Amino acid sequence: MNVIKRELRAHLKALIIWSICIFIMIMLSMSEFSVYYNNPELAAILDTMPKAMLKAFSINSANLTTVSGYVSILSIYFYIMLGIHAVLLGSSIISKEERDKTAEFLYTLPTSRQKIITGKLVAAVINCLILLGVTCLAVIVAILKYEPGETFFAFLKLNMLSIFFIQMIFLSIGMLMASIIKRYKKSGSISVSILLGTYILSVGISFSDKIEFMKYITPFKYFEPLYLLNENKMEGVYIIISSILILICLIGTFYFYPRRDLRI
Amino acid sequence: MNIIEINKLTKYYGKARGIIDVSFNVKKGEIFGFIGPNGAGKSTTIRTLLSLIYPTSGSAKIFGKHIIKDGPEIRKEIGYLPSEIFYYDKMKVKDLLKYSASFYKKDCTKRMYELADIMELDLTRRIEDLSYGNKKKVGIVQGLLHEPKLLMLDEPTSGLDPFMQKKFFDLVVEENKKGTTVLFSSHILAEVQQLCNRVAIIKEGSIVKIEDIKKLQEDHYKKIIIKGKDLDVKKFNIPEVKELVKNNNELSFFYNGDINKIIQTIGSGIIKDILILDPSLEEIFIHYYK
Repeated sequence: MNVIKRELRAHLKALIIWSICIFIMIMLSMSEFSVYYNNPELAAILDTMPKAMLKAFSINSANLTTVSGYVSILSIYFYIMLGIHAVLLGSSIISKEERDKTAEFLYTLPTSRQKIITGKLVAAVINCLILLGVTCLAVIVAILKYEPGETFFAFLKLNMLSIFFIQMIFLSIGMLMASIIKRYKKSGSISVSILLGTYILSVGISFSDKIEFMKYITPFKYFEPLYLLNENKMEGVYIIISSILILICLIGTFYFYPRRDLRI
Repeated sequence: MNIIEINKLTKYYGKARGIIDVSFNVKKGEIFGFIGPNGAGKSTTIRTLLSLIYPTSGSAKIFGKHIIKDGPEIRKEIGYLPSEIFYYDKMKVKDLLKYSASFYKKDCTKRMYELADIMELDLTRRIEDLSYGNKKKVGIVQGLLHEPKLLMLDEPTSGLDPFMQKKFFDLVVEENKKGTTVLFSSHILAEVQQLCNRVAIIKEGSIVKIEDIKKLQEDHYKKIIIKGKDLDVKKFNIPEVKELVKNNNELSFFYNGDINKIIQTIGSGIIKDILILDPSLEEIFIHYYK
Protein backbone atom coordinates (compact mmCIF):
# COMPACT_ATOMS: atom_id res chain seq x y z
CA MET A 1 0.00 0.00 0.00
CA ASN A 2 2.77 2.42 0.93
CA VAL A 3 4.56 1.63 -2.33
CA ILE A 4 1.40 2.31 -4.37
CA LYS A 5 0.91 5.67 -2.67
CA ARG A 6 4.56 6.59 -3.11
CA GLU A 7 4.55 5.66 -6.81
CA LEU A 8 1.31 7.50 -7.50
CA ARG A 9 2.76 10.62 -5.98
CA ALA A 10 6.06 10.20 -7.82
CA HIS A 11 4.32 9.92 -11.20
CA LEU A 12 1.63 12.54 -10.60
CA LYS A 13 3.46 15.35 -12.36
CA ALA A 14 4.20 13.27 -15.46
CA LEU A 15 0.60 12.07 -15.52
CA ILE A 16 -0.73 15.62 -15.42
CA ILE A 17 1.55 16.64 -18.30
CA TRP A 18 0.51 13.60 -20.36
CA SER A 19 -3.16 14.30 -19.61
CA ILE A 20 -2.90 17.90 -20.73
CA CYS A 21 -1.07 16.92 -23.94
CA ILE A 22 -3.58 14.20 -24.80
CA PHE A 23 -6.48 16.51 -24.06
CA ILE A 24 -5.11 19.28 -26.27
CA MET A 25 -4.23 16.85 -29.05
CA ILE A 26 -7.75 15.45 -29.09
CA MET A 27 -9.34 18.89 -28.99
CA LEU A 28 -7.22 20.09 -31.90
CA SER A 29 -7.79 17.05 -34.08
CA MET A 30 -11.50 17.04 -33.36
CA SER A 31 -11.79 20.68 -34.30
CA GLU A 32 -10.50 19.66 -37.71
CA PHE A 33 -13.43 17.30 -37.98
CA SER A 34 -15.84 20.19 -38.60
CA VAL A 35 -14.32 20.41 -42.09
CA TYR A 36 -15.14 16.80 -42.91
CA TYR A 37 -18.45 16.50 -41.11
CA ASN A 38 -21.25 15.70 -43.59
CA ASN A 39 -19.11 16.78 -46.52
CA PRO A 40 -19.73 14.48 -49.53
CA GLU A 41 -17.29 16.38 -51.81
CA LEU A 42 -14.41 15.42 -49.55
CA ALA A 43 -15.52 11.84 -49.61
CA ALA A 44 -15.35 11.97 -53.42
CA ILE A 45 -11.77 13.23 -53.30
CA LEU A 46 -10.79 10.46 -50.94
CA ASP A 47 -12.18 7.87 -53.31
CA THR A 48 -9.56 8.86 -55.88
CA MET A 49 -6.66 8.15 -53.53
CA PRO A 50 -4.74 4.83 -53.56
CA LYS A 51 -6.52 2.16 -51.53
CA ALA A 52 -3.37 0.90 -49.80
CA MET A 53 -2.47 4.30 -48.52
CA LEU A 54 -5.88 4.88 -47.07
CA LYS A 55 -5.82 1.46 -45.54
CA ALA A 56 -2.49 2.18 -43.92
CA PHE A 57 -4.05 5.10 -42.13
CA SER A 58 -7.33 3.27 -41.48
CA ILE A 59 -9.22 5.79 -43.58
CA ASN A 60 -11.99 5.17 -46.03
CA SER A 61 -14.46 7.53 -47.61
CA ALA A 62 -17.34 6.29 -45.54
CA ASN A 63 -15.78 6.95 -42.18
CA LEU A 64 -14.13 10.31 -42.50
CA THR A 65 -17.42 12.15 -42.59
CA THR A 66 -19.11 10.50 -39.60
CA VAL A 67 -18.36 10.97 -35.91
CA SER A 68 -17.60 7.34 -35.19
CA GLY A 69 -15.59 7.07 -38.38
CA TYR A 70 -13.48 10.07 -37.56
CA VAL A 71 -12.78 8.85 -34.03
CA SER A 72 -11.83 5.49 -35.49
CA ILE A 73 -9.21 7.20 -37.63
CA LEU A 74 -7.85 8.99 -34.59
CA SER A 75 -7.79 5.72 -32.69
CA ILE A 76 -4.47 4.63 -34.12
CA TYR A 77 -2.92 7.79 -32.65
CA PHE A 78 -4.52 7.02 -29.30
CA TYR A 79 -2.96 3.57 -29.49
CA ILE A 80 0.46 5.03 -30.20
CA MET A 81 0.34 7.85 -27.66
CA LEU A 82 -1.09 5.87 -24.78
CA GLY A 83 1.07 2.93 -25.79
CA ILE A 84 4.20 5.07 -25.55
CA HIS A 85 3.05 6.38 -22.20
CA ALA A 86 2.49 2.86 -20.93
CA VAL A 87 5.72 1.38 -22.26
CA LEU A 88 7.82 4.23 -20.83
CA LEU A 89 5.97 4.08 -17.54
CA GLY A 90 6.43 0.32 -17.28
CA SER A 91 10.10 0.53 -18.07
CA SER A 92 10.90 3.49 -15.82
CA ILE A 93 8.82 2.49 -12.82
CA ILE A 94 11.06 -0.57 -12.53
CA SER A 95 14.41 0.77 -13.71
CA LYS A 96 14.35 4.16 -11.99
CA GLU A 97 15.37 2.65 -8.66
CA GLU A 98 18.64 1.58 -10.21
CA ARG A 99 18.95 4.74 -12.30
CA ASP A 100 18.52 7.00 -9.25
CA LYS A 101 20.50 4.58 -7.09
CA THR A 102 17.60 4.36 -4.68
CA ALA A 103 17.54 0.58 -5.06
CA GLU A 104 19.97 0.34 -2.18
CA PHE A 105 17.38 2.02 0.01
CA LEU A 106 14.16 0.47 -1.28
CA TYR A 107 15.29 -3.12 -1.64
CA THR A 108 16.97 -3.31 1.76
CA LEU A 109 13.66 -2.58 3.45
CA PRO A 110 11.97 -5.56 5.06
CA THR A 111 9.82 -6.52 2.13
CA SER A 112 10.28 -8.70 -0.90
CA ARG A 113 10.96 -7.42 -4.39
CA GLN A 114 7.78 -9.16 -5.54
CA LYS A 115 5.71 -7.09 -3.15
CA ILE A 116 7.39 -3.87 -4.24
CA ILE A 117 6.85 -4.53 -7.95
CA THR A 118 3.26 -5.54 -7.24
CA GLY A 119 2.78 -2.10 -5.71
CA LYS A 120 4.49 -0.52 -8.69
CA LEU A 121 2.30 -2.50 -11.11
CA VAL A 122 -0.89 -1.40 -9.36
CA ALA A 123 0.27 2.23 -9.39
CA ALA A 124 1.14 1.97 -13.09
CA VAL A 125 -2.23 0.46 -13.99
CA ILE A 126 -3.97 3.26 -12.08
CA ASN A 127 -1.89 5.78 -14.04
CA CYS A 128 -2.90 4.14 -17.31
CA LEU A 129 -6.56 4.09 -16.33
CA ILE A 130 -6.52 7.77 -15.42
CA LEU A 131 -4.93 8.68 -18.75
CA LEU A 132 -7.48 6.50 -20.52
CA GLY A 133 -10.24 8.28 -18.60
CA VAL A 134 -8.85 11.63 -19.71
CA THR A 135 -8.76 10.41 -23.33
CA CYS A 136 -12.35 9.17 -23.14
CA LEU A 137 -13.52 12.39 -21.53
CA ALA A 138 -11.74 14.54 -24.09
CA VAL A 139 -13.31 12.62 -26.97
CA ILE A 140 -16.79 12.95 -25.46
CA VAL A 141 -16.35 16.65 -24.76
CA ALA A 142 -15.07 17.28 -28.28
CA ILE A 143 -17.81 15.25 -29.96
CA LEU A 144 -20.79 16.38 -27.90
CA LYS A 145 -21.87 19.16 -30.28
CA TYR A 146 -22.35 16.62 -33.09
CA GLU A 147 -24.96 14.88 -30.91
CA PRO A 148 -23.54 11.38 -31.23
CA GLY A 149 -25.98 8.49 -31.00
CA GLU A 150 -25.92 5.09 -29.40
CA THR A 151 -23.76 3.57 -32.12
CA PHE A 152 -21.04 6.07 -31.34
CA PHE A 153 -21.00 5.25 -27.66
CA ALA A 154 -21.03 1.54 -28.39
CA PHE A 155 -17.99 2.09 -30.59
CA LEU A 156 -16.34 4.35 -28.01
CA LYS A 157 -16.70 1.65 -25.38
CA LEU A 158 -14.98 -0.91 -27.60
CA ASN A 159 -12.39 1.63 -28.58
CA MET A 160 -11.49 2.47 -24.99
CA LEU A 161 -11.36 -1.21 -24.09
CA SER A 162 -8.97 -1.74 -27.00
CA ILE A 163 -6.76 1.11 -25.84
CA PHE A 164 -6.72 -0.43 -22.39
CA PHE A 165 -5.51 -3.72 -23.85
CA ILE A 166 -2.82 -1.87 -25.81
CA GLN A 167 -1.78 -0.03 -22.66
CA MET A 168 -1.54 -3.22 -20.63
CA ILE A 169 0.43 -4.99 -23.38
CA PHE A 170 3.01 -2.23 -23.58
CA LEU A 171 3.09 -1.61 -19.85
CA SER A 172 3.97 -5.24 -19.26
CA ILE A 173 6.51 -5.23 -22.11
CA GLY A 174 8.15 -2.15 -20.56
CA MET A 175 8.30 -3.80 -17.14
CA LEU A 176 9.74 -6.99 -18.59
CA MET A 177 12.41 -5.10 -20.52
CA ALA A 178 13.46 -3.22 -17.40
CA SER A 179 13.70 -6.54 -15.59
CA ILE A 180 15.76 -8.49 -18.09
CA ILE A 181 18.00 -5.87 -19.70
CA LYS A 182 21.16 -5.65 -17.66
CA ARG A 183 21.85 -2.07 -18.67
CA TYR A 184 18.85 -0.40 -17.16
CA LYS A 185 19.58 2.84 -19.03
CA LYS A 186 18.70 1.12 -22.27
CA SER A 187 15.42 -0.42 -21.21
CA GLY A 188 13.41 2.71 -22.02
CA SER A 189 14.74 3.14 -25.53
CA ILE A 190 14.49 -0.58 -26.29
CA SER A 191 10.89 -0.63 -25.06
CA VAL A 192 9.94 2.33 -27.25
CA SER A 193 11.75 0.72 -30.18
CA ILE A 194 9.59 -2.37 -29.77
CA LEU A 195 6.50 -0.19 -29.85
CA LEU A 196 7.56 1.75 -32.93
CA GLY A 197 8.81 -1.42 -34.62
CA THR A 198 5.48 -3.15 -34.20
CA TYR A 199 3.68 -0.04 -35.37
CA ILE A 200 5.77 0.17 -38.54
CA LEU A 201 5.13 -3.53 -39.07
CA SER A 202 1.40 -2.95 -38.79
CA VAL A 203 1.63 -0.24 -41.44
CA GLY A 204 3.69 -2.59 -43.63
CA ILE A 205 1.04 -5.27 -43.32
CA SER A 206 -1.55 -2.83 -44.69
CA PHE A 207 0.57 -2.36 -47.80
CA SER A 208 1.48 -5.95 -48.44
CA ASP A 209 -0.66 -9.06 -48.18
CA LYS A 210 2.44 -11.25 -48.19
CA ILE A 211 3.28 -10.46 -44.62
CA GLU A 212 -0.28 -10.56 -43.41
CA PHE A 213 0.48 -13.59 -41.22
CA MET A 214 2.62 -11.28 -39.08
CA LYS A 215 -0.46 -9.48 -37.85
CA TYR A 216 -0.37 -11.75 -34.82
CA ILE A 217 2.85 -10.22 -33.55
CA THR A 218 1.93 -6.56 -33.72
CA PRO A 219 -0.53 -5.33 -31.10
CA PHE A 220 -1.54 -2.52 -33.43
CA LYS A 221 -3.32 -5.10 -35.60
CA TYR A 222 -5.21 -6.68 -32.72
CA PHE A 223 -7.95 -4.11 -32.40
CA GLU A 224 -8.30 -2.42 -35.74
CA PRO A 225 -10.66 0.53 -35.38
CA LEU A 226 -12.43 -0.23 -38.67
CA TYR A 227 -13.20 -3.74 -37.53
CA LEU A 228 -14.53 -2.44 -34.21
CA LEU A 229 -16.68 0.07 -36.07
CA ASN A 230 -18.09 -2.31 -38.66
CA GLU A 231 -18.46 -5.47 -36.61
CA ASN A 232 -19.25 -3.78 -33.32
CA LYS A 233 -17.11 -6.28 -31.42
CA MET A 234 -13.52 -7.17 -30.68
CA GLU A 235 -11.95 -10.24 -32.21
CA GLY A 236 -11.86 -12.99 -29.63
CA VAL A 237 -8.60 -14.47 -30.86
CA TYR A 238 -6.78 -11.19 -30.24
CA ILE A 239 -8.24 -10.80 -26.79
CA ILE A 240 -6.78 -14.20 -26.00
CA ILE A 241 -3.41 -13.38 -27.62
CA SER A 242 -3.25 -10.07 -25.76
CA SER A 243 -4.08 -11.66 -22.44
CA ILE A 244 -1.46 -14.35 -22.93
CA LEU A 245 1.13 -11.76 -23.96
CA ILE A 246 0.40 -9.61 -20.91
CA LEU A 247 0.52 -12.65 -18.67
CA ILE A 248 3.83 -13.86 -20.07
CA CYS A 249 5.44 -10.43 -19.68
CA LEU A 250 4.20 -10.08 -16.12
CA ILE A 251 5.25 -13.58 -15.14
CA GLY A 252 8.65 -12.81 -16.69
CA THR A 253 8.89 -9.58 -14.70
CA PHE A 254 7.98 -11.29 -11.45
CA TYR A 255 10.39 -14.11 -12.21
CA PHE A 256 13.42 -12.19 -13.42
CA TYR A 257 13.38 -8.97 -11.43
CA PRO A 258 13.63 -10.57 -7.99
CA ARG A 259 16.55 -12.68 -9.24
CA ARG A 260 18.41 -9.75 -10.69
CA ASP A 261 21.69 -8.39 -9.38
CA LEU A 262 20.84 -4.77 -8.74
CA ARG A 263 23.31 -2.32 -10.17
CA ILE A 264 24.16 0.33 -7.68
CA MET B 1 25.81 -17.19 19.25
CA ASN B 2 26.56 -16.07 15.74
CA ILE B 3 24.49 -13.27 14.25
CA ILE B 4 26.18 -13.50 10.86
CA GLU B 5 27.60 -16.71 9.45
CA ILE B 6 29.27 -16.47 6.09
CA ASN B 7 30.36 -19.65 4.40
CA LYS B 8 32.61 -19.53 1.34
CA LEU B 9 30.68 -16.69 -0.20
CA THR B 10 31.82 -16.03 -3.75
CA LYS B 11 30.60 -13.41 -6.17
CA TYR B 12 31.71 -12.80 -9.72
CA TYR B 13 30.31 -10.00 -11.85
CA GLY B 14 30.52 -11.83 -15.13
CA LYS B 15 34.22 -12.52 -15.22
CA ALA B 16 35.17 -9.70 -12.89
CA ARG B 17 36.09 -10.68 -9.39
CA GLY B 18 33.86 -9.53 -6.58
CA ILE B 19 34.69 -11.71 -3.61
CA ILE B 20 36.18 -15.20 -3.41
CA ASP B 21 35.47 -17.74 -0.68
CA VAL B 22 34.73 -15.21 2.01
CA SER B 23 33.99 -16.88 5.32
CA PHE B 24 33.62 -15.31 8.75
CA ASN B 25 31.23 -15.15 11.65
CA VAL B 26 30.03 -12.19 13.63
CA LYS B 27 29.02 -12.95 17.20
CA LYS B 28 26.11 -11.49 19.05
CA GLY B 29 26.89 -8.18 20.69
CA GLU B 30 30.22 -7.50 19.07
CA ILE B 31 31.38 -4.67 16.88
CA PHE B 32 33.04 -6.42 14.00
CA GLY B 33 35.39 -4.45 11.82
CA PHE B 34 35.68 -5.20 8.14
CA ILE B 35 38.68 -3.49 6.67
CA GLY B 36 40.27 -3.29 3.29
CA PRO B 37 41.00 -0.72 0.61
CA ASN B 38 38.50 0.43 -1.98
CA GLY B 39 37.56 -2.32 -4.38
CA ALA B 40 38.59 -5.13 -2.04
CA GLY B 41 35.03 -6.47 -1.83
CA LYS B 42 33.63 -4.97 1.36
CA SER B 43 30.53 -3.52 -0.25
CA THR B 44 30.08 -6.63 -2.40
CA THR B 45 29.99 -8.76 0.76
CA ILE B 46 27.51 -6.48 2.49
CA ARG B 47 25.27 -6.16 -0.58
CA THR B 48 25.23 -9.93 -0.92
CA LEU B 49 24.22 -10.26 2.73
CA LEU B 50 21.33 -7.89 2.00
CA SER B 51 20.28 -9.76 -1.18
CA LEU B 52 20.82 -6.73 -3.37
CA ILE B 53 23.02 -9.04 -5.39
CA TYR B 54 23.16 -12.81 -5.34
CA PRO B 55 26.20 -14.99 -4.65
CA THR B 56 27.80 -17.03 -7.40
CA SER B 57 28.43 -19.74 -4.83
CA GLY B 58 28.56 -20.19 -1.09
CA SER B 59 25.97 -19.21 1.44
CA ALA B 60 25.34 -17.03 4.43
CA LYS B 61 23.00 -16.86 7.36
CA ILE B 62 21.87 -13.95 9.47
CA PHE B 63 20.08 -14.62 12.76
CA GLY B 64 20.38 -18.26 11.74
CA LYS B 65 18.20 -17.66 8.69
CA HIS B 66 19.02 -17.98 5.02
CA ILE B 67 19.90 -14.59 3.51
CA ILE B 68 17.97 -15.05 0.28
CA LYS B 69 14.99 -17.18 1.24
CA ASP B 70 14.32 -15.32 4.48
CA GLY B 71 15.58 -11.96 3.23
CA PRO B 72 12.51 -9.84 3.98
CA GLU B 73 12.18 -11.28 7.47
CA ILE B 74 15.87 -10.84 8.26
CA ARG B 75 15.81 -7.25 7.08
CA LYS B 76 13.18 -6.34 9.69
CA GLU B 77 15.99 -6.39 12.21
CA ILE B 78 18.77 -4.92 10.09
CA GLY B 79 19.76 -1.30 9.88
CA TYR B 80 21.87 -0.54 6.83
CA LEU B 81 23.92 2.54 6.16
CA PRO B 82 25.36 2.44 2.63
CA SER B 83 28.60 4.19 1.77
CA GLU B 84 26.82 6.57 -0.57
CA ILE B 85 23.35 7.75 0.27
CA PHE B 86 20.72 8.20 -2.40
CA TYR B 87 17.09 8.94 -1.70
CA TYR B 88 14.18 10.27 -3.69
CA ASP B 89 15.27 13.83 -4.42
CA LYS B 90 11.84 15.40 -4.39
CA MET B 91 10.84 14.04 -1.02
CA LYS B 92 11.09 15.89 2.24
CA VAL B 93 13.34 14.31 4.86
CA LYS B 94 10.39 13.70 7.14
CA ASP B 95 8.31 12.02 4.43
CA LEU B 96 11.23 9.85 3.42
CA LEU B 97 11.78 8.71 7.00
CA LYS B 98 8.07 8.07 7.48
CA TYR B 99 8.01 6.10 4.24
CA SER B 100 10.93 4.02 5.44
CA ALA B 101 9.26 3.54 8.85
CA SER B 102 6.03 2.38 7.20
CA PHE B 103 7.74 -0.85 6.17
CA TYR B 104 8.47 -1.82 9.76
CA LYS B 105 5.56 -3.11 11.71
CA LYS B 106 6.09 -0.86 14.68
CA ASP B 107 5.84 2.77 15.62
CA CYS B 108 9.16 4.43 14.93
CA THR B 109 8.04 8.04 15.30
CA LYS B 110 9.54 8.66 18.74
CA ARG B 111 12.91 7.18 17.87
CA MET B 112 12.91 9.10 14.59
CA TYR B 113 12.63 12.46 16.37
CA GLU B 114 15.18 11.42 19.00
CA LEU B 115 17.73 10.49 16.37
CA ALA B 116 17.07 13.57 14.27
CA ASP B 117 17.64 15.60 17.39
CA ILE B 118 20.94 13.89 18.19
CA MET B 119 22.20 14.23 14.62
CA GLU B 120 20.88 17.82 14.36
CA LEU B 121 18.92 16.97 11.25
CA ASP B 122 16.38 19.37 9.79
CA LEU B 123 13.36 17.22 8.91
CA THR B 124 11.57 19.83 6.84
CA ARG B 125 14.08 20.08 4.00
CA ARG B 126 13.97 18.38 0.67
CA ILE B 127 16.46 15.60 -0.01
CA GLU B 128 17.78 17.36 -3.12
CA ASP B 129 18.69 20.46 -1.09
CA LEU B 130 20.85 18.52 1.35
CA SER B 131 24.64 18.44 1.36
CA TYR B 132 26.49 15.14 1.22
CA GLY B 133 27.03 15.16 4.98
CA ASN B 134 23.41 15.96 5.69
CA LYS B 135 22.26 13.12 3.44
CA LYS B 136 24.49 10.88 5.48
CA LYS B 137 22.68 12.04 8.59
CA VAL B 138 19.36 11.10 7.01
CA GLY B 139 20.90 7.71 6.29
CA ILE B 140 21.95 7.29 9.90
CA VAL B 141 18.49 8.16 11.19
CA GLN B 142 16.86 5.93 8.58
CA GLY B 143 19.16 3.04 9.45
CA LEU B 144 18.52 3.29 13.17
CA LEU B 145 14.90 4.37 13.54
CA HIS B 146 13.48 0.87 13.79
CA GLU B 147 15.94 -0.10 16.53
CA PRO B 148 17.56 -2.94 14.61
CA LYS B 149 19.37 -5.89 16.18
CA LEU B 150 22.08 -5.78 13.55
CA LEU B 151 23.71 -2.71 12.09
CA MET B 152 25.57 -2.88 8.82
CA LEU B 153 27.68 0.20 8.29
CA ASP B 154 29.50 0.54 4.99
CA GLU B 155 32.14 3.23 5.32
CA PRO B 156 29.78 5.25 7.46
CA THR B 157 31.92 8.23 8.35
CA SER B 158 32.73 9.67 4.94
CA GLY B 159 31.19 13.12 4.64
CA LEU B 160 30.70 13.63 8.36
CA ASP B 161 32.70 16.29 10.14
CA PRO B 162 34.72 15.13 13.20
CA PHE B 163 32.11 16.44 15.59
CA MET B 164 29.28 14.52 13.91
CA GLN B 165 31.55 11.54 13.52
CA LYS B 166 32.00 11.43 17.29
CA LYS B 167 28.26 11.76 17.86
CA PHE B 168 27.69 8.95 15.42
CA PHE B 169 30.27 6.71 17.11
CA ASP B 170 28.67 7.42 20.47
CA LEU B 171 25.37 6.42 18.97
CA VAL B 172 26.80 3.18 17.62
CA VAL B 173 28.43 2.35 20.96
CA GLU B 174 25.20 3.15 22.78
CA GLU B 175 23.23 0.87 20.46
CA ASN B 176 25.88 -1.80 20.92
CA LYS B 177 25.50 -1.60 24.70
CA LYS B 178 21.79 -2.20 24.24
CA GLY B 179 22.72 -5.45 22.50
CA THR B 180 22.94 -4.45 18.86
CA THR B 181 25.55 -6.29 16.83
CA VAL B 182 27.52 -4.14 14.42
CA LEU B 183 29.32 -4.94 11.18
CA PHE B 184 31.52 -1.97 10.50
CA SER B 185 33.24 -1.71 7.15
CA SER B 186 35.95 0.84 6.68
CA HIS B 187 39.28 1.67 5.15
CA ILE B 188 40.15 4.07 7.93
CA LEU B 189 41.98 2.04 10.55
CA ALA B 190 41.88 4.52 13.39
CA GLU B 191 38.10 4.31 13.58
CA VAL B 192 38.10 0.54 13.42
CA GLN B 193 40.72 0.48 16.18
CA GLN B 194 38.59 2.81 18.23
CA LEU B 195 35.35 0.84 17.98
CA CYS B 196 35.79 -2.77 17.06
CA ASN B 197 36.38 -5.96 19.01
CA ARG B 198 37.41 -8.12 16.10
CA VAL B 199 38.37 -7.42 12.52
CA ALA B 200 38.41 -9.22 9.24
CA ILE B 201 40.90 -7.95 6.71
CA ILE B 202 39.90 -8.31 3.10
CA LYS B 203 42.27 -7.99 0.18
CA GLU B 204 41.46 -8.42 -3.49
CA GLY B 205 38.26 -10.22 -2.71
CA SER B 206 39.62 -12.68 -0.17
CA ILE B 207 39.79 -12.60 3.59
CA VAL B 208 43.41 -12.36 4.64
CA LYS B 209 42.96 -12.54 8.37
CA ILE B 210 40.37 -12.51 11.09
CA GLU B 211 41.60 -11.51 14.49
CA ASP B 212 40.96 -9.81 17.78
CA ILE B 213 41.88 -6.22 17.39
CA LYS B 214 44.12 -6.43 20.48
CA LYS B 215 45.82 -9.57 19.28
CA LEU B 216 46.46 -7.99 15.94
CA GLN B 217 48.41 -5.27 17.67
CA GLU B 218 50.08 -7.33 20.44
CA ASP B 219 51.05 -10.60 18.88
CA HIS B 220 53.28 -11.58 16.10
CA TYR B 221 54.99 -8.56 14.72
CA LYS B 222 57.34 -6.26 16.46
CA LYS B 223 58.70 -3.24 14.81
CA ILE B 224 62.42 -3.00 15.47
CA ILE B 225 64.59 0.02 14.80
CA ILE B 226 68.34 -0.20 15.30
CA LYS B 227 70.68 2.72 15.16
CA GLY B 228 74.42 2.45 14.81
CA LYS B 229 77.36 2.77 12.42
CA ASP B 230 78.31 0.16 9.84
CA LEU B 231 75.28 -2.02 10.45
CA ASP B 232 75.46 -5.30 8.61
CA VAL B 233 72.28 -5.66 6.56
CA LYS B 234 73.09 -9.15 5.34
CA LYS B 235 72.72 -10.91 8.63
CA PHE B 236 69.12 -9.71 8.89
CA ASN B 237 68.20 -11.52 5.74
CA ILE B 238 66.35 -14.26 7.62
CA PRO B 239 62.76 -15.39 6.96
CA GLU B 240 61.39 -13.86 10.17
CA VAL B 241 62.41 -10.37 9.10
CA LYS B 242 60.13 -8.38 6.82
CA GLU B 243 60.28 -4.94 5.29
CA LEU B 244 63.92 -4.42 5.98
CA VAL B 245 64.86 -0.81 5.33
CA LYS B 246 68.31 0.71 5.71
CA ASN B 247 68.48 4.44 6.09
CA ASN B 248 71.89 6.02 6.75
CA ASN B 249 72.73 4.78 10.21
CA GLU B 250 69.36 3.29 10.89
CA LEU B 251 67.85 -0.12 10.20
CA SER B 252 64.14 -0.78 10.59
CA PHE B 253 62.13 -3.95 10.03
CA PHE B 254 59.21 -6.03 11.23
CA TYR B 255 60.02 -9.18 13.12
CA ASN B 256 57.80 -12.19 13.63
CA GLY B 257 59.41 -15.03 15.61
CA ASP B 258 61.45 -15.93 18.65
CA ILE B 259 62.59 -12.70 20.25
CA ASN B 260 65.77 -14.33 21.64
CA LYS B 261 66.92 -15.18 18.19
CA ILE B 262 66.71 -11.61 16.98
CA ILE B 263 68.42 -10.30 20.13
CA GLN B 264 71.28 -12.66 19.41
CA THR B 265 71.43 -11.57 15.82
CA ILE B 266 71.48 -7.93 16.77
CA GLY B 267 73.86 -8.47 19.68
CA SER B 268 76.90 -9.21 17.62
CA GLY B 269 76.92 -5.79 15.95
CA ILE B 270 77.83 -2.27 17.03
CA ILE B 271 74.63 -0.63 18.23
CA LYS B 272 74.01 2.89 19.41
CA ASP B 273 70.31 2.60 20.09
CA ILE B 274 67.50 0.08 19.74
CA LEU B 275 63.72 0.47 19.67
CA ILE B 276 61.31 -2.46 19.86
CA LEU B 277 57.75 -1.33 19.21
CA ASP B 278 54.24 -2.68 18.71
CA PRO B 279 53.42 -1.80 15.17
CA SER B 280 50.42 0.45 14.62
CA LEU B 281 47.40 -1.05 12.93
CA GLU B 282 48.26 1.03 9.89
CA GLU B 283 51.61 -0.67 9.64
CA ILE B 284 50.13 -4.12 10.12
CA PHE B 285 47.55 -3.27 7.57
CA ILE B 286 50.03 -2.07 5.00
CA HIS B 287 51.95 -5.23 5.60
CA TYR B 288 48.97 -7.40 4.72
CA TYR B 289 48.64 -5.57 1.48
CA LYS B 290 52.20 -6.07 0.34
